[in-house]
Amino acid sequence: MKKEAAGIKTQKTKNLILGKDPFDLLFYMVTAVAALAVLAITIGIFFILVRESYPAIKKFGVFGFIFAKDWDPYREIFGAATNLFGTAVTTCLSLVIAIPVAIGIAIFVTEIAPDFLKGPIGGAIELLAAIPSIIYGLWGFFTLAPIMANHVEPLLMDTLGKLPLIGPLFQGTPMGIDMLTASVILSIMIIPFTASIARDSFNLTPELVKESAYAVGATRWEVVKNVVIPYSRLGIFGGVALSLGRALGETMAVAFVLGNNHQITTSLFDAAATITVTLANEFTEASSKMYTASLFYLALLLFVLSFIILAVAKFFLVRYQKKYPGEQ
Amino acid sequence: MKREQKRKLQSVVALTLSMLAALFGIFWLVFILGSVLVHGARALNASFFLNDPTPPGVTGGGMRNAFVGQLLITLFATIMGVPVGILGGTFLAEYARGKRLSHYVSMLADIMVTVPTIVVGTFIYAIMVKPLGHFSGWAGAVALAVIMIPVVLRTTENMLTLVPWTLREAAFALGAPYYKVIIQVVYRGAITGIFTGVLLSIARVAGETAPLLFTSFNNSFFSGNMNGPIASLTVTIFQYAMGPYDDWHQQAWAAALVITFAILLVTIVGRMVIKLRYGKK
Repeated sequence: MKKEAAGIKTQKTKNLILGKDPFDLLFYMVTAVAALAVLAITIGIFFILVRESYPAIKKFGVFGFIFAKDWDPYREIFGAATNLFGTAVTTCLSLVIAIPVAIGIAIFVTEIAPDFLKGPIGGAIELLAAIPSIIYGLWGFFTLAPIMANHVEPLLMDTLGKLPLIGPLFQGTPMGIDMLTASVILSIMIIPFTASIARDSFNLTPELVKESAYAVGATRWEVVKNVVIPYSRLGIFGGVALSLGRALGETMAVAFVLGNNHQITTSLFDAAATITVTLANEFTEASSKMYTASLFYLALLLFVLSFIILAVAKFFLVRYQKKYPGEQ
Repeated sequence: MKREQKRKLQSVVALTLSMLAALFGIFWLVFILGSVLVHGARALNASFFLNDPTPPGVTGGGMRNAFVGQLLITLFATIMGVPVGILGGTFLAEYARGKRLSHYVSMLADIMVTVPTIVVGTFIYAIMVKPLGHFSGWAGAVALAVIMIPVVLRTTENMLTLVPWTLREAAFALGAPYYKVIIQVVYRGAITGIFTGVLLSIARVAGETAPLLFTSFNNSFFSGNMNGPIASLTVTIFQYAMGPYDDWHQQAWAAALVITFAILLVTIVGRMVIKLRYGKK
């Protein structure tokens, strides 16, 4: 039914733009150019970044750049490994913290909260996404980092740090300016994204299916665990991938608290560098051609990486919407 | 009996945990906004808005230059980005409706909405700052416009799709050409939504820092010249917070207070308008 209607519409549109009024064609052209601007920007970013980073691409190659640990502006030898390491660790850790919380929030908002609380709580969580990232950075630097250094990290060191396998992750000097603090801030930033997509997906579960589960005596948690979550799995995957893309490109929130130290370490209490932090700190100071080209190369890697991850996220979400168009 | 009790207990525990998760989220919101309010209110006074910065280390002064710079950059970004976004969204929702091209371009726009903004900064640096040899307010405005376009485009497309097709048919029946139908009927039906979407996108780019670092850069003097480096609130916050002076830190908090509450106000009002107008969300 729906498809047919769309088909008729397209045909109508075709006849309409061939109308006699010359302004019609003009308006059509102007809007078409504007729409293609998005395509032009995307392709433009890719080609310009490739062009600017070309000297570095030629000198270090692709794998030679990705896997090299050196970041030495004096000898002009650059590798992305330390930056990729920092990005990977902070992103993964922030997801580990954020996903359970976000799903918990979504469960609370859709299944538990009384109706008058649903809107305000969901809205308040979404406000977290509206706060500019520079504010997260400022707050993290002056407020959160001292708390992490004086209270949270010593506590973790005395408890988790003593465990055999994961112990080394929580050892060292608790300075507060480190990967753990950065990950905590990142996780707060991405919670609203995952939570709102998870909530929308949960809402798409048909009431009928849930009620059938209640009818056979399932508890509320069993309904959530066995009906709602499996039903919205694709949506949740999409939400998580979207948050991953967000966390990957976040700059200002982590630039304050990461320390910009190019190293690969085993402890979460060490300073590190991510692609974004390196760019923010070093881009305007890069003195040599190769230095600048390497920074552009980092930007290119980040662009390609986040583009792929976001495309995958979109793929999941589109498939989900197709599978369960729902009433909304 | 025992098994039933266990299941009930399990349910209570799990649901309590999810309630704690919600409290956890709210806790951070209150914590962050509270810190900004407490620290920011201390340094907020008339001089903060009316004076330019004093030389480093000398206490006093304000951020007049950054307020003006921020307004200029955001204003020009809006002037450049919004028309392109609205026209592009019109094309996708009207002329290309239901076509494959429309589907792919909106998907691409969705991706570009989330692409790291610092990458946009490096891109604009390469095409505007490097060839001209100097940082400029224009480069900053273009960077923000590039970030705005996909946001406005998607909002416009969604809002136009909500206008019932029958409304257009009624106008066609009167013999109106398509462009007149779009401008006089479709836009009128979607104006609240589009306007709100534009406001939300302005609120979004006004808080951006990363794309301005390498484009408009910073300027500790008052400047209304878009051809040279120009101060912005966000970049100034970054510079002041990283600086060694207590007075700078105070002012960074004050600027944070102003920008956060301005953005949150616009966001909340925008969302309420959309909720009232369209019922859902």
